[in-house]
Amino acid sequence: MAHVVGPEVVKYACTCGLLKSISSLYFCRYCCQLRCGFCVCHEVDSHFCGKCCENLPSSEARLKKNRCGNCYICPSCQQELSTRIGSKGPSNPEDPKSTPKKMYYLSCLYCRWSSRDVGIPDQSAATGGWPDRENVNANRLQEIIEMYKAMVLAEKQQKEKDKKKQRGKYLSYTDRTGVTAAALRKRIGLPVDIQHSLLKAKPKEPEPAIAKEDVEDLPEELLTKPVNLTEVTTIEQRLLQIDLQPTTVEKLFPVHKQLSIKRSLRCRSCEHNVSKPEYNPNSVKFKIQLFAYYHVPEIRIVTVEPLRAGRPSELIIKFTNPTQHQTTITILSLVLSGDESEVKEETGDQPSLPQEKQPPSLSSQPSSLLSLSSRQPSITIKPRPVSQEVNADVAIPSSKVILPPRDDAAEYDDSGDTHNIQDDPKLVVWRKSNKAFVKLLVTPKQGLALNSEIVAGFTMQHIYTNTIATTVENREPDKHDHNIRVFLTLGNLVGFD
Amino acid sequence: MSRNSIKILQGALVCEESKLRGDITIGTGTIIHPSATILAEAGPIIIGDCCLIEEQVKIIHRLPFDQQDKENTPVLIIGSHNVFEVDCHVEAPKIGNYNVFESKSFVGNKVTVTNGCIIGAGCKVTQEQILKENVIIYGHDCHMREGLDRPGLQTLQMETLSKMLPNYHHIRKPNKKN
Repeated sequence: MAHVVGPEVVKYACTCGLLKSISSLYFCRYCCQLRCGFCVCHEVDSHFCGKCCENLPSSEARLKKNRCGNCYICPSCQQELSTRIGSKGPSNPEDPKSTPKKMYYLSCLYCRWSSRDVGIPDQSAATGGWPDRENVNANRLQEIIEMYKAMVLAEKQQKEKDKKKQRGKYLSYTDRTGVTAAALRKRIGLPVDIQHSLLKAKPKEPEPAIAKEDVEDLPEELLTKPVNLTEVTTIEQRLLQIDLQPTTVEKLFPVHKQLSIKRSLRCRSCEHNVSKPEYNPNSVKFKIQLFAYYHVPEIRIVTVEPLRAGRPSELIIKFTNPTQHQTTITILSLVLSGDESEVKEETGDQPSLPQEKQPPSLSSQPSSLLSLSSRQPSITIKPRPVSQEVNADVAIPSSKVILPPRDDAAEYDDSGDTHNIQDDPKLVVWRKSNKAFVKLLVTPKQGLALNSEIVAGFTMQHIYTNTIATTVENREPDKHDHNIRVFLTLGNLVGFD
Repeated sequence: MSRNSIKILQGALVCEESKLRGDITIGTGTIIHPSATILAEAGPIIIGDCCLIEEQVKIIHRLPFDQQDKENTPVLIIGSHNVFEVDCHVEAPKIGNYNVFESKSFVGNKVTVTNGCIIGAGCKVTQEQILKENVIIYGHDCHMREGLDRPGLQTLQMETLSKMLPNYHHIRKPNKKN
C-alpha cells in the first residue's frame, strides 16, 4: 500500500527505459519481461455506468454518446444527482380515499443543488421521466452531418470505380471484335455507363450559412452594474453543456452521467493479455492478472546510514519472494544502456545470441518458450537506455541469496522455518519464510554537492519459474534467469569524507 | 474563570456528558448530544429554540486577539432551528436562524453567519465577512452558491431523538421555567 500513496523510492527499469515502482509494472509471462503502462496496448473491455453499475454493449454506448440513460450529474459541481421524494402532491380531490401521490426531484448531496432550483417540475415516476432538453440547432446540425456522410459515401464509391477501371483484367468476350456493350450503346445513343437508380441520389445540399454583419450593441449595464458572482456560471459549468452554454445559474440543466470503461492490457510484443478485468462492474477482481508484484521479487529499503561522499554506508534492503517457487537472487552491477544481454556476457552465463534477425525482446527467452509465442510481434520494440543518473556505487557481493517460496499457511504452522539455508552472515542479516534482509555497502561518488539526492542502482537477477503449461514431455516447469535493473533513491548527502 | 451558570428551559434535552462552561442559556426544543462542547469564555451564549447540536461539536465564544482588552462583554446569540453536525467547530460572533453547519466544518471568529446558510462538510471559512442569506458553501475550495430557500428542517430526526436519547443517556434537568 505504501507504493500507492508514499514516495517512489525503489524503482524498477522497464524494458522501454522508464523507471516505475513495482506496483505500476506488469510482467508478461510469455516474453518474460517487465512491461509498464507504455509498453502495453490499452483496449476497451466493457462500458458501464459507475452509479447504476449496469453494463452497456458498446454499440448502445456509442448511440447514447457514452452516457448513461438513467443517471444524471449535478450541473453545478459535477457530482451524482440522487432522486428524492418531494412533498407529496395533494391527494386526488375527486377520490378522497386515494393515497397522496409521491413526486420526485433530483438533488445533489454535495452542493445542495436541486432540480427545483432551475424550475424543472417534479416527476411522478422515479426513473426515466426527466425531460431531455432539445438542442436549438439540432435540425441544422443533422442536415450538415447528413451532407457530409453522403459526401464520404460518394468519395468511397468513386474510389472503387476508379479501382475497377484500372484493373481491367477481365475483358469482355467481345472486346477484340470491337462489339462491346458500351460501343453498342454509344452507337444507339444511350448513355455509356448504366447508373444504378439507387446510387443516383445526390447529396441534398443544405442552405449555405449567411454571414451577418450587424451585431447586438454592447449593453451599458455590463460596465456599470456590479457583478453578482453567485449568479454567473463558471467556465466548467458552462462547458458541461456545450449546446447551450448558459451564462447564468438559472439555466443550468442536469447532464447525463458519463460511462466508465474497464480496460484490458495487452503486451505489444507477443500480443498476449497482461491484465483482463471481470465483466461485472461491481467486481474489482481480474480474470488475468499478471502484475509484477506477484511475479518479481519486491525490494524495500529497511535502513540506510547517513550518506557521506566517498565513504561506504550500510544499506539494508528487504527482498520478498511472491511466487510459489524457490528463487535465487544474484546482485550484479548496473548497465544503463538498452541491452541487458551485456550483463550476461560479464557473468559468462550464456553466449550472447545473434540479435539482428531475432526480435530483441526474445533474446533472453529460453528456447522451449519460443514455440509457445506463436504470434510474431507486429512492431519490434528495441529496449531504450535508462536516463537516470546514478551517483553512488554499490559494492557487488559475491554470494547469492536463496529465497524460499511464499507459503500462505506459514502463519498457522508452528513448526517454524525449517529451510536450513546456509547464508553468508555478512550478506543476509535476517530471514523469515519468504523474506530476507540483505546488507549492501553504498559509496556516494566524490565531488557531489551537499544535500544532493543520492541514487544507487544495481541489476537484480532472479530465477523465474515459468508456470505456463509446457509440452507433455516436459513435466518440470521451466526456470531461467531474469535480470531487472533497480534504482534506489537513498536520501540526501549529509557530509563529506 | 467565571462560574458556570447554565439555564436550561423547559423542553430542552441536554445530555449530562456534554461540556458546558460559562453563562449559557438553552432554549426549548434544543437537543444537545453528549460530548458537545460549549465554551462561553468571552461572554454569555444564548442558544435559541429547536437547535440540534450533535456530538463533538465545539461552539466557542472567544474574542479575537485584537479585541481582547475591551470592557463590554459581547453576547453570542445563536438563533433557532440551527443544526450543528458532528465535529463542527464554530467560533462565529453572531449566528442567525435556520443555518446548517455540516460535519467537520470550521467557522472562524470573524465570520458573521446570517440566516439559512449551509456551511458544507470540511469547509474552513475564516475570512472576515458577513455571509449572505441562504448561501451554500461547498467543496475543498469553499465555493459559494446562492440557494433559493433556507434548508429544510430536521423535525423528524429531532422527534426521534427526543424519544431515544433519554433511554440511553443521563439528561440534565431543566432549571428555568419560561
